[in-house]
Amino acid sequence: MNDEAGGIQRRTRFQALCQSLRPDLLRFAFWLSRDRALAEDVVQESMLRAWKAQDSLLDESAAKPWLLTIVRREYARTFERKRFPTVDVDELVAKEEPMLAAAEEQDIADVRAAIMKLPDEYREPLVLQVLMGFSTAEIARELDLSGPAVLTRLFRARRRLRAACGEDTTLDPQE
Amino acid sequence: MMEHTDYRASILADPHSTDAELRAHREACAECRDFTERLLRFESRLERALRVDILTKAAEPLPTDEPQPVADVLPFARKAGHDARAPRRWMAIAASVLLGVAVAGGIWLTLPQQSLAADVVAHMAGEPEAWQRTEAVADSELDQVLKDSKLRLKPDAGVVSYASSCAFRGHRVPHLVVQTPSGPVTVMVLVHESVRKPMRFDDEGYRGTIVPVPGHGSIAVLMRGLTVGSGEIERIAARVDDSIVWTR
Repeated sequence: MNDEAGGIQRRTRFQALCQSLRPDLLRFAFWLSRDRALAEDVVQESMLRAWKAQDSLLDESAAKPWLLTIVRREYARTFERKRFPTVDVDELVAKEEPMLAAAEEQDIADVRAAIMKLPDEYREPLVLQVLMGFSTAEIARELDLSGPAVLTRLFRARRRLRAACGEDTTLDPQE
Repeated sequence: MMEHTDYRASILADPHSTDAELRAHREACAECRDFTERLLRFESRLERALRVDILTKAAEPLPTDEPQPVADVLPFARKAGHDARAPRRWMAIAASVLLGVAVAGGIWLTLPQQSLAADVVAHMAGEPEAWQRTEAVADSELDQVLKDSKLRLKPDAGVVSYASSCAFRGHRVPHLVVQTPSGPVTVMVLVHESVRKPMRFDDEGYRGTIVPVPGHGSIAVLMRGLTVGSGEIERIAARVDDSIVWTR
């Protein structure tokens, strides 16, 4: 009886935890894949994997990086299972245009289009830093990179974005 | 003194860095200070751009009598035999969305602020225990939570029965429950989230409002249940706003 009640309580807590983190995980998966339908699938599968592996989450405060790692692995698995056709990045932007253009202002839509065109190696650490609030050390751990390598990628990502969005980059350092 | 190019390279990699050497350079160099201000304005656009409006389905209430199969319990579980990528599903969702927008006059779906409201409501689901307490939290506990956001509450703010510094959209934000004559009210002080005008929302059994606080982001105020009118919640939000003293 107690086991049963404990199980329900545990399920409730885990569900609430996942629910609260789901919007950010969906956004992360979207920027990872640049495909909304794929992002939904990846997060769904990730949540199921997380459910099955929830005993390995020893500290609930670490739930966000734990789930994020699962999402990244699940996204990688989709490429192991299926070879996606190469798509021109402009087609990706056009495909997701309704969501990208859902911003009130044109300048936000412009930044979104520029993010879509960033190479994966620059886009992913940028999303981890800005959207997920990860520190440089946390990004380095997640992406298996050194701290300086992460900073270099973040620097390049912002330089490219600012240039693409028409910002004044005359004072930006050159590499 | 640090070179300008080194400063700018570092700040481009992490515009919110609190490194003491960077801060010292910024204070001593007007050109780099201007550079940083322009970068932070761009960073604000970048943050908003990354928060694409993702529609999320909130959790169904869990049954309490017997365990359910995972697929029935989890709101995100894929149903057997269901192809999540089937175009028909997306067409149906798209049709529902369009119909909802047409019927509800575009109340809920597209604006970034509405996504913010959805995230606030989702956060409530993650901390159900916040509503249970009625005793006042210790002053030291409350001070600790408010300190990082550079604010304090006036003594007449009411009994604060829950105070937690929560992770929300990449920042730590104060999450409070204040006991009022109308019942417990949740307050989230969102210094990193700006809204243009007050926004009411009713979602998942919560009714609330997010009001702008010029220069300090916004405040989300919400109650459980729909028995208290939106007007009353806005009056409560105004009182909460009045009771906050910003210390920066």
